[in-house]
Amino acid sequence: MTTSESSATTVSSAPESSDWVGRSFKRKEDHRLTTGKGQYLADIAAPGMAHLVFHRSTHAHALIKKVDTSKAAKMPGVLAVITGAELKDQILGFPQPVVVPALEAKYPTFWPLALDKVKFHGEPIAAVVAVDKYQAEDAALVIEVEYEPLPVVLDPEKALEAGAPRVHEIFDDNEMFALTFTGGQTQEEQDANDKDVEALIQEADVVVKQRFRVHRTGVTPMETRGALAQWDESDGLLAHVTTQRPHIDRLALADMLSIPPQMVQVIAPRDQGGEFGVKAPFYREPILVCHMARKLGRPVRWVETREEHLMCVSQERDQIHDIEVAAKSDGTITAVRDRAIGDAGDGCEGVYWGFLMPFLGAALLPNAYDLPKCDIKLRVAFTNKSALSPARSFGAFPARFALDRAIDLVARKLGMDPADVRRKNLITELPYTSATGVHYDSGDFLKTWDNLTKTIGLTAFRKEQAKALKEGRYIGIGFAVGAELSGVASEVLVPMENQPGYGAATVRVDPRGTVLVFEGDAPGGQGHETSLAQIAAQEFGIHPNDIVVKTGDTSITPFGSGTIGARAGSYTASAVSIACRRLKDKIAVIMAHDLKLEDATPEDFEFKNGEVIYKGGNIRKTFVEMTNRIIMMPLDLPEGVDAGLDETAFFEADKPMICFSCHGTIIEVDADTGQFEIKKYVTSEDAGTVINPLIVEGQVQGAVVQGISNTIFEEFVYDENGQQLTADFENYQIASAADVPRVMVTHAGVPCPHTPLGTRGLGEGLPGPVPAALGNAVSDALQPFGIEITDLPLRANKIWAMIQEAKKKTAA
Amino acid sequence: MNKDVKISINGVAYEKSVPLRMLLVDFIRDEAGLTGTHIGCTYEGRCGTCTVQMDGEAVKSCMLLAVQADGREIATVEGLASNGRLHPLQEAFNEHHALQCGFCTPGILMNTEEFLKENPDPSEAEIRRSLVGNICRCTGYDHIIDAIQTAAKRLRQA
Repeated sequence: MTTSESSATTVSSAPESSDWVGRSFKRKEDHRLTTGKGQYLADIAAPGMAHLVFHRSTHAHALIKKVDTSKAAKMPGVLAVITGAELKDQILGFPQPVVVPALEAKYPTFWPLALDKVKFHGEPIAAVVAVDKYQAEDAALVIEVEYEPLPVVLDPEKALEAGAPRVHEIFDDNEMFALTFTGGQTQEEQDANDKDVEALIQEADVVVKQRFRVHRTGVTPMETRGALAQWDESDGLLAHVTTQRPHIDRLALADMLSIPPQMVQVIAPRDQGGEFGVKAPFYREPILVCHMARKLGRPVRWVETREEHLMCVSQERDQIHDIEVAAKSDGTITAVRDRAIGDAGDGCEGVYWGFLMPFLGAALLPNAYDLPKCDIKLRVAFTNKSALSPARSFGAFPARFALDRAIDLVARKLGMDPADVRRKNLITELPYTSATGVHYDSGDFLKTWDNLTKTIGLTAFRKEQAKALKEGRYIGIGFAVGAELSGVASEVLVPMENQPGYGAATVRVDPRGTVLVFEGDAPGGQGHETSLAQIAAQEFGIHPNDIVVKTGDTSITPFGSGTIGARAGSYTASAVSIACRRLKDKIAVIMAHDLKLEDATPEDFEFKNGEVIYKGGNIRKTFVEMTNRIIMMPLDLPEGVDAGLDETAFFEADKPMICFSCHGTIIEVDADTGQFEIKKYVTSEDAGTVINPLIVEGQVQGAVVQGISNTIFEEFVYDENGQQLTADFENYQIASAADVPRVMVTHAGVPCPHTPLGTRGLGEGLPGPVPAALGNAVSDALQPFGIEITDLPLRANKIWAMIQEAKKKTAA
Repeated sequence: MNKDVKISINGVAYEKSVPLRMLLVDFIRDEAGLTGTHIGCTYEGRCGTCTVQMDGEAVKSCMLLAVQADGREIATVEGLASNGRLHPLQEAFNEHHALQCGFCTPGILMNTEEFLKENPDPSEAEIRRSLVGNICRCTGYDHIIDAIQTAAKRLRQA
């Protein structure tokens, strides 16, 4: 399969020669990145820079009796050693309002370094700053900590039991967060809804009741975290941080370090080695780096080791769903009841606090299905693990697995093809608001779905499957879908994270007819420098190479809440578009004035091939002529029009928008070994108008492989004492090129009516449907044994054991 | 304890006195200032972002000491383009969108440059096997395979 074949059914017709949106324009980022000229955080240095290394807890739960830093302080090159007890009096602690959701929960108090006890294996206790990084590591090793171990609690269900060891003494129990997502705001309304759901379950033709469990795994990026802080008494703090939300970090750093906000500049390096949500929180470590730079009056850099990274962040999923699905004999689902449990770890993490992922997962549980009657309740527990941190398909990965697996179980009970049950329950009339209150703006789900089943060849497969079974081969097909956030509207983000959802962009036109676009968010591989240049190129009718996109520097970019929730293609792209259109209107007004076209309106002008064209009389001026005239020769301007071509726009959709993705896979299982091979993986997308098909294809393929890797290979393992056993890539195994199939990406969508160019953002939620698609396919293949996959990871040894069990039963 | 070394990187000789324990990757990045070679794992050679060539052979520079490279020729991604012209692999990676964040890319390029010399016309399965020592987290690998196939074809025709 070649790239061009895989995009066979693109949504928009082939672009005209002057169209830049819809074109697989080669990325502008790639030259520097393929020649070794990229500048990631660890590549940025400052004169006199010192290195910070953490000393981290070797216990999962223990009182800190004593921290002896005397040996470390005397080591060569050491500039400073700091402990939590010292730090507590020097800076403010968490929680700080700008990084606390507006949701009722137990928010623990904590500092960047542990005070009197540690709550997970890997929690920072002290830090060393030294001239040389080897010296800093040496000194961090000789810090001596005396612990008094406490009982550990690792299982979220046990953590919620009365009498469980408490992770945070300040709270009465380990229930960090609990919420009913359905029925209404009041207890009475919710109780009434619960009763209705119970009645529907009682009277249903079939009911499936099943526990699904998804392990702890996430999308660790290839570049770890890091920070480089510089302090100047008059200028204040300059902090380079690996982050998806530099503007939020700036406010939070100012608050915690008590620095006036105008004296804090945060730069997310334009080259970041992958994000995937992992770099979205406001983490504790950069705060200490900034503080130490101020304290020592010299630049300090911390580059996280992979071991630290895997112990402390990138851990997501980790949910239990006890789900019941009731259906009529024709396959119509009448009710869903879900009791979900999330494991927040110690919950000590700015913005997300370990529970926002399961929170959103529960809210997104109904997915693209028309399920008006749901009873969904979530409890999230503190445990002695590192705080759950985001990974794309934020919280939804386990929820998608539970519901889309349960739908196959319903189909089994009804003797229907799971594809038919799925199709029967897809939402057909949009806009739609789910039982959990999530708004789906538009789309044609059946069109996207039908494209998938046709492309993968469902009908032919069923014949092949029957034939294969006669030959003793077990092949199966599995499907799953995802209605995913395409940006997060303020309507959702303000209550959820206390942050605005708008997309922001500044467009600055140069006298020479070239353009600078400023984006306050901070990409990490998504290709914003190219896609956003294509948007501005489309609007102005100039070449994308004449446009430069600047990102991530709080001193030059407009405020944005960060590169999160697939918002670039929807919110940020739209802000760019709107800013360009306002400037085009201004250019048109001035051109009409200059040419004395008294009746002309901006709509009469077209921007194409480097020209501004008055369509009424085919009068042309070059774009450069106009920009030079307006910026450099601000004489005789129309009344009320000021000089310059510089515009900032904030885009906010009235209602939250989504993108939609359907996944299908064909798998063959070796019943003798439990090994399985993914023979085919196909997706069908509604991404609205596609800005750059090649970039979108890359987003989908990458996300699907992350989903496959999470489902099959990756797992964070803690032993019974809470010791982390998977803190390196030998033990935390990520799929290699040899482990994964080709991913065929097709499109069958409709332009989004709520954005200026019909675009939707996609990327964030894309791994979500993967585990159910794989689990459904393996279960489908193994129906002769009656096997249903309910727990992840999906591993050959487990499948083999299930086959053995099934064979025993048959024999008996 | 220090030792004097002379290490050639991309044809430039670096004569330095380095601690015995200094890793080759740190020499390349910190002493020679060539930051295109990255560090992505816990120095166990698993991620492949530090891949360079030593005397023409792809090696993980985090698993070697700088002193082991004394007197040897190191090639890094910064030396892959020659006379202002990109290597066919670099061009093909751009054409096929074979990189997103780009963090793994230098290592993949240095590994693959050697691989294609040994196997100028590889099958897809052979390319996939050649990449097991280089993790890419962004792309899902398909575009990388496409790019390597395109580059291999051009190199064969060159």
